[in-house]
Amino acid sequence: MTHASVFRGNHKCTTMRTPLASRCYSHAKVETDEEFDARWVTYFSKPDIDAWELKKGMNTLIGYDLVPEPKILDSALRACRRLNDLASAIRILEAVKDKSGPHKDIYPYLIQELQPTLIELGISTPEDLGMDKL
Amino acid sequence: MNMNRETDRPPVQNSTMSLAKPAMRGLLGKRLRFHLPIAFALSLVAAAAFKYGVTEPRKQAYADFYKQYDTTKEFNNMRDAGVFESVRPTGE
Repeated sequence: MTHASVFRGNHKCTTMRTPLASRCYSHAKVETDEEFDARWVTYFSKPDIDAWELKKGMNTLIGYDLVPEPKILDSALRACRRLNDLASAIRILEAVKDKSGPHKDIYPYLIQELQPTLIELGISTPEDLGMDKL
Repeated sequence: MNMNRETDRPPVQNSTMSLAKPAMRGLLGKRLRFHLPIAFALSLVAAAAFKYGVTEPRKQAYADFYKQYDTTKEFNNMRDAGVFESVRPTGE
């Protein structure tokens, strides 16, 4: 893992569409969005992932300036299934909703994309459980 | 496989059933790139407004007051009012 990729989203370039891990002065190799996504899908796909790695992975992922792609979330939800951790699965959904901030179109899109996975794994959304209301 | 985030979303929604993919990366960076220069500029404006609206008039008011200030006359007024311990009012 390159050092630059840890500080994803912290780039100093002012050009509009640089990959997130680029800095104007660093010689580090720039990681593309696809490489980033693939790396995280692989991380959560580890068959014997443990609870700590799941939590650490999610916390690190949530720290980035992005909302994780559906395929990363799918991999994380399957890791929750392997760990028999329904609570974390629902928490992941809450986290990405919060991560979207004011952009209210992201969460419905994610739920739409994750619907097959949610049905297969039997995960209820926070909305199903009435947990989205205070 | 697109490498360019500009093509993240398809140009139109597929149907009323299926949502288009929204932008999901760099949202905070975009917000900061927009708001931080404005915040910086507004802070400078606020500082300039305070300097030229408050501190400079205040300094001018003090300067104007002391330009015509007669120290001897004011000293004698204070002396006759009896506020000093080192000198008694004139006539005592």
